[in-house]
Amino acid sequence: MADRTVLFEIKRQASPDAPAVWEKFELPWRPGMNVISAMMEIAANPVTADGRETTPVTYDSNCLEEICGSCAMRINGKARMACSSLVDNLEQPIKVEPLTKFPLVRDLQVDRSVLFENLKAVKAWVPIDGTYDLGSGPRMFPQEQEVRYPLSNCISCTCCMEVCPQFNEATGFVGAATIAQVKLFNEHPSGKVLKEERLRALSGDGGIQECGYAQNCVEVCPKQLPLTDAISDISRDVLLQKAKDFLRG
Amino acid sequence: MATTHQTAAPQVHSGVQPLRAGQGTSFLWRKLHSLLGIIPIGAFLLEHLLSNYEALKGPLAYAEQVKFLNSLPLVRVLEWAFIFLPILYHAFYGLYIWLRGKSNVVYYPWAGNWMYTAQRWTGMIAFFYIGYHVATQRFLGADLPHNPGMAFAKVQHELSNPLILAFYVISMIAICWHFAYGIWLFAAKWGITPGKTARKRFGYVCAAIGVLLCVMGLASIWAFVGPKYANAPANVPVSTLVAPAHAGSAFHLSSFQPAARS
Repeated sequence: MADRTVLFEIKRQASPDAPAVWEKFELPWRPGMNVISAMMEIAANPVTADGRETTPVTYDSNCLEEICGSCAMRINGKARMACSSLVDNLEQPIKVEPLTKFPLVRDLQVDRSVLFENLKAVKAWVPIDGTYDLGSGPRMFPQEQEVRYPLSNCISCTCCMEVCPQFNEATGFVGAATIAQVKLFNEHPSGKVLKEERLRALSGDGGIQECGYAQNCVEVCPKQLPLTDAISDISRDVLLQKAKDFLRG
Repeated sequence: MATTHQTAAPQVHSGVQPLRAGQGTSFLWRKLHSLLGIIPIGAFLLEHLLSNYEALKGPLAYAEQVKFLNSLPLVRVLEWAFIFLPILYHAFYGLYIWLRGKSNVVYYPWAGNWMYTAQRWTGMIAFFYIGYHVATQRFLGADLPHNPGMAFAKVQHELSNPLILAFYVISMIAICWHFAYGIWLFAAKWGITPGKTARKRFGYVCAAIGVLLCVMGLASIWAFVGPKYANAPANVPVSTLVAPAHAGSAFHLSSFQPAARS
């Protein structure tokens, strides 16, 4: 097996305003290797396929088991997690590019802080901080848990935003991940205290109305979140909230 | 260097801005666009296709239908409030929606993404077609509101040009597609079909509605270009009618020829 190799083409960019350059790398094949393990090898020994020394490739990664959401990148043209992209399942040469919808930092590393800003804008948390002990929270029924659990699987990888035709600089759309988290926290027995605020937030410019229902988000989601279901449910909730606000004056 | 090649100069962009929580009015305008597509525009489309279907019963039945519609109270107000203005808004806001979306169906050729793209292209076809159709059939040529008897011949004359006929057929398919998928989108985005199964089932319903409307529409076009009414009179004297035109099959073209030519 010593002769078997794997070919990579990586889109490199030294800084946000540097020109993008494609570099080829050839690695010895090993059983079970994935794209992120290949990136590690290339970073440890940054020599291109034709033997030229280059800079170590920069990328985000952490858990290596599709749970932290760090290593989202475009692999063979499609956004996905590099850690769960097994080399044996990919067509070669494997083309690796950074996500396109986020400001580039370097090589495969992008700045995805817009998702964090969006989660803050919709108050995607359970407010329990206070000056005294609030005691134990209300019981959550199994039926509620069943609705919430799949939504709690979101790893903030931003793949749903990357593949969304509506998530761009013209619309400033919030993206499916944030909408799903609104549903998660609105369904929480204590978290629902902020339900109306979250719904009003999502009716702002760039809010849920910008969804074009292309459904790419649910197709690409590595954690199989029911994103389109959440968008439907929260769309209705936002609409009813706006109607109530209008009638109450 | 064999291993590298330069690509285009990079675009340094600041990225997508975060949600403007609770700010702006785009929610209202977008939902208005969505609602108008169903009511009144979708409702009008149904009425129009049903009315057109009368053409299959011949020039007389068609003229009667045109006369009936134009006899509705405040018909010009109805026309502007429930047809022209909603369509204008839906068209231009739809164009605005299209221009701000960045289709990526080339990279992600999934069914929903194709429909997203198709909804924009069919909307564009409808945009140009409706502009042309309203200009030529409502505002130019014979004044049908006052001469409903000339309706059949006017449409027939229009469709005698094969290019225009092709334009009508393509537009009929595009508009029925746009409407059928529009109902589906409306249900999905207003939370009427929040579950995958509901959306799938409703998808079949919408497909059936779309196909039915399209078949009806194309059959109506056939009524104008087919051999059955090839020598329809230029004008049908609707005002002198006593019997309802729904006995269309008993209508004999020849008996109207002298009046039509006069």
